Amino acid sequence: MRGDWIKYLRPLGITLLILVVLEIFSTALLPMLGLTKYRIPFNVLLVLYLGFKIESPYTSLFILILQYTHSFFTIEGWEMGTIAGVMICIVISYLKDLLHLSSSVITIIITQMFQFLWFFIVAILFYIREESFAYIVEKFWRFVPESIVISLLAPLFFSVLDAIWRTESDRALGDSV
Amino acid sequence: MRLIEDKERRQKAVLNILVLLIAFVGVAKRSKTLDETSAFENILIDSFAPLQTSLTSIRTEVASFFDHYVVNINASKKNVSYQKRIDELEGEIAQFQELRRENKRLKDLLQFGTGVDYKKILAQVVAWDASSDFRVIRINKGLADGVTLQSPVITANGLVGYIYRLTDSFADILTVLDNNNRVDGLIQRVRAHGIVEGYNSEKSIMKYVSRAEPIILGDVVITSGLGNIYPKGIRVGKVSRIERESYGITQNVEITPAVDFGRLEEVVILVAEGDEQKKREWEALDQMDEDSEKQARSKR
Repeated sequence: MRGDWIKYLRPLGITLLILVVLEIFSTALLPMLGLTKYRIPFNVLLVLYLGFKIESPYTSLFILILQYTHSFFTIEGWEMGTIAGVMICIVISYLKDLLHLSSSVITIIITQMFQFLWFFIVAILFYIREESFAYIVEKFWRFVPESIVISLLAPLFFSVLDAIWRTESDRALGDSV
Repeated sequence: MRLIEDKERRQKAVLNILVLLIAFVGVAKRSKTLDETSAFENILIDSFAPLQTSLTSIRTEVASFFDHYVVNINASKKNVSYQKRIDELEGEIAQFQELRRENKRLKDLLQFGTGVDYKKILAQVVAWDASSDFRVIRINKGLADGVTLQSPVITANGLVGYIYRLTDSFADILTVLDNNNRVDGLIQRVRAHGIVEGYNSEKSIMKYVSRAEPIILGDVVITSGLGNIYPKGIRVGKVSRIERESYGITQNVEITPAVDFGRLEEVVILVAEGDEQKKREWEALDQMDEDSEKQARSKR
């Protein structure tokens, strides 16, 4: 049990390092180049990868740690992303026999689908807090281009993360979850 | 009878529920107006933010090189026109100084209350928020430089926002474009009150303005001084659209902020100088309350 936990420390550490580098790139460089309206949510990409590929009882804790690191770069906090990430993990565990990340196109499509689910969960939480439907609509129009960029980046990032986490690239989602 | 037989699955289900519960409690407890960081968060934000600063600096240096050396063909011609403009503005400043002295004399005559003095701290923008849902910028000044939570932040053009999150060396500003930031505003020409809220990445809206107020496009909106965060008279922006429904008692006014957030590089933080004294007074009052409660209890 203890050894089980320790084997995840190294890949988790490297993933956190990747997240920090990407967040710095996204928050410091892109806005300075005039891209202030949109931000690339790399945390979503990494959390989705954990949900898709990591077969561990601790996945929800990994998501929490990733989101907590993300919260150093945003006032959004770690909570909403954690809720969305864990819920997506639960959904994946039910759809495991239907989904396979067998090619880049399939990876892009599946990532896009689950980003819609992510948006839906976060939008509900925002609506409860803000009580403004107009805000959700505005958020949706920002979400569309941001999520497309994330989906297009997914095959590349997933292959890098496969090497870090030593998972098989062509496998049914959530096997043995 | 066990609900989930497999040990690993059971463990996963328990952890999922636990993490979800903690996250839901976190969402419910999260404040919209400010975020007080823990010592651990303080250390980590202060460790990551210098990396953001260095990336911003590299970009600024490169841009500066191109702006100042490469794209510098008409500089001498521009210098002549700028010198002329400076002379004109210096004349205007002299007039304003005279008006300020006159204003002070008249205020003294009327025995007006004195305004709060503010210490000005210059800071550089080092990063933006990682989520596009929030219009927040990070600056390179923090507690160690004398910045306090909820201090107003401005530029020469107008209001930027207030300090939402603070660490030793860095601070996050909730800008007027963020819909969690609410400013009590005043239409300068007609003195009509309303609440200015962030709307999207370029505009704010002014709510609860009486329908009877004769607002026109281009009217300047300033801070009213109510709400205990922003001092009175800071320029917020200009009216760029007016929406009057056929029913209701208010009108919605769209405002284009005075500050160009896309080109924001430096800001000024206004820290109220009386803050420390006020804090000590409150602490003394709290202490007195506690002492009197203790005395009352001991008498019983």
